[in-house]
Amino acid sequence: MIFNSLTFLVFFAIVLALHYAPFFSWHQKKINLLIASYLFYAAWNPPFVALLWISTVVDWWAAQWMVRARRERTRKLWMLTSVVVNLGMLGYFKYGGFLLANFVAVAGSLGIVYHPPGWDIVLPVGISFYTFATLSYTLDVYLRRSAPAGSFLNYALFVTFFPHLVAGPIMRPTELVPQFEQPRQAKPDQIGFGLALLTLGLFQKVVLADGFLAPVVEAVYDAHGKLPGMLDSWVATFAFAGQIFCDFAGYSTSAIGVALCMGFAMPDNFRFPYGAVGFSDFWRRWHITLSSWLRDYLYIPLGGNRHGRARTYAALMGTMLLGGLWHGANWTFVVWGGLHGVYLSVERWLKQRFKGFTPGRASILGLALLTFLLVNVTWVFFRAKTFAGAGVVLKGMAGMQVKPEPLIAAGPMIIAMVIVSGIFGTHLTMRDTTLERVIERTPAVAIASIWALLLFAVIIEQGQGNAFIYFAF
Amino acid sequence: MPSSISRSDAHEAEVRGVREGALPAGLRKTAANRPGQAQPVPTRDIPLQPWARLALFVAVAVTLLTTGWEVEMRRQGLHAGDIDDSPQAWAEQRRAGSTAAVAIVGDSRILFDTNLDRFQALTGIRPIQTAIVGTNARALLENYANDPKFKGLLIVGLADVGYFRPDGIGFGGAYMHAFEKNGKPAQVTGLWIDRWLQQYFAFMDSDYRLSLMLPRFDHGWRSGADSPYEDVWKISETYADRQYAMWDRIESGGYLRDHARHAWGGFKGPKFPPAIIAKVVARSAEAVRRIRARGGEVIFIRPPSAPELRVNEDQRLPRSRGWDALLAGTHARGIHADDLPQAQNLVIPEWSHLSRRCATVFTDAYVRRLVQLTNRLKLRADAPPPLSRADCVPRAIAMNK
Repeated sequence: MIFNSLTFLVFFAIVLALHYAPFFSWHQKKINLLIASYLFYAAWNPPFVALLWISTVVDWWAAQWMVRARRERTRKLWMLTSVVVNLGMLGYFKYGGFLLANFVAVAGSLGIVYHPPGWDIVLPVGISFYTFATLSYTLDVYLRRSAPAGSFLNYALFVTFFPHLVAGPIMRPTELVPQFEQPRQAKPDQIGFGLALLTLGLFQKVVLADGFLAPVVEAVYDAHGKLPGMLDSWVATFAFAGQIFCDFAGYSTSAIGVALCMGFAMPDNFRFPYGAVGFSDFWRRWHITLSSWLRDYLYIPLGGNRHGRARTYAALMGTMLLGGLWHGANWTFVVWGGLHGVYLSVERWLKQRFKGFTPGRASILGLALLTFLLVNVTWVFFRAKTFAGAGVVLKGMAGMQVKPEPLIAAGPMIIAMVIVSGIFGTHLTMRDTTLERVIERTPAVAIASIWALLLFAVIIEQGQGNAFIYFAF
Repeated sequence: MPSSISRSDAHEAEVRGVREGALPAGLRKTAANRPGQAQPVPTRDIPLQPWARLALFVAVAVTLLTTGWEVEMRRQGLHAGDIDDSPQAWAEQRRAGSTAAVAIVGDSRILFDTNLDRFQALTGIRPIQTAIVGTNARALLENYANDPKFKGLLIVGLADVGYFRPDGIGFGGAYMHAFEKNGKPAQVTGLWIDRWLQQYFAFMDSDYRLSLMLPRFDHGWRSGADSPYEDVWKISETYADRQYAMWDRIESGGYLRDHARHAWGGFKGPKFPPAIIAKVVARSAEAVRRIRARGGEVIFIRPPSAPELRVNEDQRLPRSRGWDALLAGTHARGIHADDLPQAQNLVIPEWSHLSRRCATVFTDAYVRRLVQLTNRLKLRADAPPPLSRADCVPRAIAMNK
């Protein structure tokens, strides 16, 4: 189920009631949470719970046997077992069709005609997220960064804990397993703030992303042959920048709020990313738990910046290309990741070339704007389903469309631009602070009024129960 | 004061996970600050505010705001009990349609113009309503043709210019695409809860969402772009089993009815070339053949439209080239509104769909014809007496005709 659904509201009320019921022991409450998490996942597609179990059991035993192994080769073997099983499942369900299509294309280019049966496999929701979460468990144990979990229940709950299960934040075992070791209950203030965060997340998703921004994006990106001009192309792409942020950060904020209501702490996943100055700054602010995962388990093992310039750039590009592919089985995502890799490499080179440069306030504003614009160029490949589609929008953005048509009506365009400007302005002004800090310094009456208005907007928007974009990843 | 927190306090907070008071940004770390190491329990700092009292205030304020909104929406003409349609509701009916004795597909006209209660009262069978607004009926016919379980009578209601449209399925494409997903537990339970709430709250109406209402201030400011003003706004109410009925605010006239009429754009458009017609007939014939091969049957129905639209519809696709060619090409039987004496000059408030009461009259008329065309349906012995135009047309209007 999804947070922005009536089913979830009922589910969450029951979970909270069970979590705060005085007659359950902490052990029983954890079992309740585990069952609730399986139900949360099974609500999409019950048979896919089996994949969760496979991932849980394999990684639990792989870590157990890893610490019992006396030889390094045996440890490595168990680590590889975990990697192969997890990436194998991910590869089969997420990339099977993509690999097959590319194989057919390559074979065709060599003159070999091959017509395989259709690849009609449903993608299990959130498989990319929980695969990375469980992989971090065995990899941390292998790298001796952490000891295996002391209890199977705590570990199974780490994998399936419903707030982070399907779209992150991608948690590491060391972040969550210790929280299950002792009873946790939120104080009234924590529950209040948790509910406020849940409201903020739902407002971002239901009202901004789905309600106002998605139709503007679809008017151009799903225009079915109509050609957008410069204005429409840029507005739709800006709107998508707002939509993808509100959609994904909305989910993370809701997840953090939900966990907080039960007394659990989850990590920040976004930190005002459109206020970033430069691309390394952007990736420290955007999908933080994924970018740090890729850094720790891919970039650093690939050599990181420890083996000279060429190797550093190669590691950077490799990480970003695979990071792009993580988002979806399509070459457009690879190009999206590749563009970010190029941006990061150029930025790295510029920083080395102009070491003494310290930007003033105007330069920071200019660089933030430039970063935002260049990030928007990459979003074209992220949103467009094909290169041809991306080409149409990019051509429009460059003002090179021969006979463009107006695709976005004035009203929705104005509303979308107000929202996106608001997001960009907020991120820029809050880039050096935190939401909590700003809330603390704001009068209580203002906080209460804003909170009430956001919740009221969510209620009257009603929502259509649209899935979060990142569920598809 | 939170700003005076020391680094050791921050470390303690990291161990405990949740602390009271907001950490300064520099002390609040994320995984981005800790490369290549095991990440500790994250810190969630709770801003110092009276959260319990704030939550109470919000609960009261939102209750008041929502009550006010509910009152306003009822004043606008929305009713509790109008449970709305959705892809989930369609999926529920479509699942039932597979094994139904009688299922209906088509566009909005057959959806509005069929009264399921009347159908059942006449025949003892309640048809499964799987027509979809703004959808090419041919795509739905093919959907049933591809369903190996369906062996019943399929009633295909159509507006000619929609049925012979060469491109696209319309809104129904998304419904059919999400059919499997909409049968999953999360979607089904969501549908149940949504229906239960809509029994009590009038404001829960998909046509009166904030994001749909707000942009309507734009009355076509940008030339050439599809303005939200040109969209079809709310014209129907929906009840159990996807029973559609004309919204009383449209029936009673005024701005909303005028807008609804405007939104149809007169059904103007280019004429249909013979090649397209031949292609549509061929595809329809194939779909009908497949259903018949399994023991099923297909009957086409053409509900009425007002003269204001009909003139353009006939210009684009005259009956002889569309409807008659379809029946001839598919070797199927059909009921055209023009051929039902009881269905003449009914009330069509916004020119495309019958009024609530006239929909019952039309249903009565076409079902009585239907039982003559197929032995799958029989008129019940205790069937109610036939209805006529006088049963739905207001006396004042009837006298003017």
